Amino acid sequence: MIDISSLAKRFEVENPKKLSEQEKKDPRLKGRYFQSVKDVSFSCGQGEVLGLLGPNGAGKTTTLRMLSTALKPDSGTVVIDGEDVLANPIIARKKIGFLSSSTGLYGRLTGRENIAYFGELHGITKSIISARIEEMADLLDMQSFLDRRAENFSSGMKQKTAIARAVIHEPSLVVLDEPTTGLDIMATSTVMDFIQRLKDKGTPVIFSTHHLDEVQMLCDRVTVINQGESVFNDSLAAFSALSDGQMHKSFLHTLKMNTAEVGQCG
Amino acid sequence: MWLIFKKEFKELLRDRKTIIFMIVLPLLLFPLIFGVAMFFMNSAAEKAENVVLKYAIVGEQYAPDMSQQFANETDKFTMVDIQGEADYAKLIKDETLDFVLVIPETFNNEVLTSGQHKLQLYLNDAGLNKVLGRVSEIVDVYTDEFQKTAFANLGLNESQQQALLSPIVIEKENIADDREVWGERLGGLLPYFIFILCLQGAMAPASDLGAGEKERGTLETLLISPMERYKLVLGKFFTIGVAGLITALITVSSMAIWGIVLSQGLAIEFVAEVMAMIGIIDFVLIFLMLIPVVAIFAAVLLSLSIYARSFKEAQSYMGALVMVVVFPVLIAMMPGVKLEGGWIWVPLTNVALAMKELFKGTMDYFALFGIFTSTVAIAAALIAFCVYWFNKEKVLFR
Repeated sequence: MIDISSLAKRFEVENPKKLSEQEKKDPRLKGRYFQSVKDVSFSCGQGEVLGLLGPNGAGKTTTLRMLSTALKPDSGTVVIDGEDVLANPIIARKKIGFLSSSTGLYGRLTGRENIAYFGELHGITKSIISARIEEMADLLDMQSFLDRRAENFSSGMKQKTAIARAVIHEPSLVVLDEPTTGLDIMATSTVMDFIQRLKDKGTPVIFSTHHLDEVQMLCDRVTVINQGESVFNDSLAAFSALSDGQMHKSFLHTLKMNTAEVGQCG
Repeated sequence: MWLIFKKEFKELLRDRKTIIFMIVLPLLLFPLIFGVAMFFMNSAAEKAENVVLKYAIVGEQYAPDMSQQFANETDKFTMVDIQGEADYAKLIKDETLDFVLVIPETFNNEVLTSGQHKLQLYLNDAGLNKVLGRVSEIVDVYTDEFQKTAFANLGLNESQQQALLSPIVIEKENIADDREVWGERLGGLLPYFIFILCLQGAMAPASDLGAGEKERGTLETLLISPMERYKLVLGKFFTIGVAGLITALITVSSMAIWGIVLSQGLAIEFVAEVMAMIGIIDFVLIFLMLIPVVAIFAAVLLSLSIYARSFKEAQSYMGALVMVVVFPVLIAMMPGVKLEGGWIWVPLTNVALAMKELFKGTMDYFALFGIFTSTVAIAAALIAFCVYWFNKEKVLFR
């Protein structure tokens, strides 16, 4: 169970002159500071999958980074299983499995070594790590490339390895930042199946995505972030009901935009 | 921390570029510098010495004996006939001739009456050649002969002759032994190579361990692992430091081993002399002094690397760092800068000066206290800065 309340984060802009015209017009830019996240709140319970939606630059990644402890919020709270993430980041990190959008791997290590390294960082014994790797390799169809160096992996192989690495310590919350971006249909399907398995096991999953079909397929809850604020936070059914089941219209509805306005945003 | 170190080092050993900078380059640099340079210098000098010089003498009728002497030495000189009004410079430039010797018509052995003879030697002195030396070998015989004739005519004894030739002589009593002489010449240069090699050895892993993590996208995942930040930093710091130290160890060992091999194998006398003079303790001290130096390098490199957005950006910062490192070594090479007073406390410069003193055999071992205190203090401060730097979101998520 994770409970996020009133998260806020601003960044100092290194060189305001280098900002694009569109960035300069963003109302979140105040002098030398950019308020990336203003007020984001949501929660995700046992066995729930929460889809985090929002246009590019809305603040999704910053929000996920804050709840994963990579960034420290300026204000707000993140509580995982009753543990305050800000007060006890090390304990919180043991509870979170985080997949960043970059899915970076150590190229000169094999897939197995990449996963095992993070298992060891979590303090898991080698025998348990080995067993967990075998289990996940079967689930994610990784056996054929597990002992090859990661530098030659395809996007799908990288993503599968990164997912296995994120959950090697059997976290009580899994956070995935755009886990299917750039993947082919087969790899996407494997990732979707894996999220479903986590859900079946009762592990809460939060994932950001631009693919509304994935939200429809897997999510119980939807949170929409726009301009650094959570503008929608309810069940999938409530989200769908905003526009008679047409997901993309529901999404635009939460942004208070219509199709013509979307065209102007381009 | 050990876990981080172990993993980073495993990756390091699988990187060909790092292996080249860490092991291959230091192993090969010294034989390349000493051996190959010496070999080419010797062979060039030998070639210049043995080449048959093409020459012409203008006014040979005024010094027939000397001209004959040139003609007799066929293994060294070969005469080319030229016109009296020829353009000597052109003939030498187009390599028709190596030199032209012009003898004045007043040339004779009665120097007391005719005065000093001026022979003109036209040659191309730009490259390595032995023309003047080889011509002088023959001319000097006549110089001695003319001197003797003149002294005999003046009725001077040997002591008077010497006094006339050199009325005042400075007798140099060099208190420096050979080791000090060679230490002064080589000792200033060696820290330059050693520092640069240590820096190079640490640079490749440093780029990978900071900026490389950002570029690969592994940094974020690493930051949210339950390992404390300072342990991450120390794990990476020790990896870079050990890489630098391995480079230093290989550099110093290679210097010693290749010095011995070269001095025996290639019979380069001065290398043999220098190597015989420097003891194992000196090499051990050099290595020990390099430990805090490498720690300074490792901390600065890691800070630069983690600040950089990409591998390329990190390498450009590190390129500039080479300049910064060269500067204190250059100071140590300046005349008059010695390991005394304030210089003992100037990091890097003090180690470079100490290396020079060790090579010279004039090391003041009390200075080691200042050297180690200042370099260790700077290294510790830089490591602390590195940990602080690693905790700044502005640096990590630029």
